[in-house]
Amino acid sequence: MENEIVKCKKYWNPYVGGIVMGTLLFLTFAIASQGYGASGTFARATAQFLVNQDASWLENAYIANYFKHSDNALNNWTVIETIGILIGGFLSAVLAGRFIFRPDKAASYSLTGRYFWAFTGGMVVAVASRLARGCTSGQGLDGMATFSVGAWIFMFATFAGALLLSPLFKKQWVDDEQAAPKKVSLKEGLNNG
Amino acid sequence: MDNLILPLYRNGFLSSEANFFFALIMGITFGFVLERTGFTRSKLISGTFYFKSLAVPKIMGTTVVTAATWFIIFSWLGWLDISQLYTPATYVWPYVVGGLMFGAGMVMAGYCPGTAVAGLGTGKTDALVFLLGVLAGMFVYFIIYPYVSDFANSSNLGVLKLHDLFGGNEYTSFIITVILETSIILFMMLLRKIANTGKTV
Repeated sequence: MENEIVKCKKYWNPYVGGIVMGTLLFLTFAIASQGYGASGTFARATAQFLVNQDASWLENAYIANYFKHSDNALNNWTVIETIGILIGGFLSAVLAGRFIFRPDKAASYSLTGRYFWAFTGGMVVAVASRLARGCTSGQGLDGMATFSVGAWIFMFATFAGALLLSPLFKKQWVDDEQAAPKKVSLKEGLNNG
Repeated sequence: MDNLILPLYRNGFLSSEANFFFALIMGITFGFVLERTGFTRSKLISGTFYFKSLAVPKIMGTTVVTAATWFIIFSWLGWLDISQLYTPATYVWPYVVGGLMFGAGMVMAGYCPGTAVAGLGTGKTDALVFLLGVLAGMFVYFIIYPYVSDFANSSNLGVLKLHDLFGGNEYTSFIITVILETSIILFMMLLRKIANTGKTV
């Protein structure tokens, strides 16, 4: 099924995609004086939710920071931009005939396991993004494009962290390769026979 | 100096409302390109760590080099003040630990926050679960913040650019960036070749 989807609409060449994305990133900086972001939106949403429940959350030093310039933590450039990302992803998927409710994983991996690791990974990524003051957008792309040393430290560490744990999650991402060679050997067997 | 009009917002050429309007437009275009390049698929993103697909480093590298090239051209023309572009300060150890954790979370989840938002737009259910996890993780961080704030704010070197480290000016930084990104892509191509030797793909 996935093959059918990939066949019916091709994804952009990565270098072409990068040139378009880089030009858009430049325009974003040239207009707004800042680049892409995403993780901050979720920190702000959580902070706003907690303060709505109980104003004493404002005593938390980290949360208080989001209410320095406005009564509403969501009154922020990156929050609006993140809503745009959602709309943009939706528009592109619909126009490409790729909008479909489904998870992404290796075919044989269990759905429960996939959702468990998506949630757990999300929690880890959130805490990490607060320590790193951004994610792969706000710290990685923006920082590297503006020549920041910190962005390079973050990206190298991110890649190292992912590579170190990658053997533990191979089954979730990589389709069982024994399926393919078996077919080949069967074919060979027939040819030989 | 009269020509120095970019960035528009910081130099007072744009109202706050107009800036928010452009935030939505730039977000939509970003999300659109993320979907068109396949960045809304956790399997493609995580495939990077198994050298199955190099789309992620190729796109990220090209994006950074393209944006930096525009910065340098517009700065050279005298139209852009690079120092006015928002750049996060460098906190060495928080970034090392934060990065290692971020990578661990990414190989578990297959998404980072931006790609998951675009992925949710395309109907990916695992992206939705991931983002719920992100919200929960933010809550955890607020709770533990009093205990980790000393570490989180340690080793702050301020805004530190590549040329502050290696000498020279923004042009030096640009050249280093191009060399780094190019070598990373080439190095990963080599690793993929080694990793997939003897496999029928």
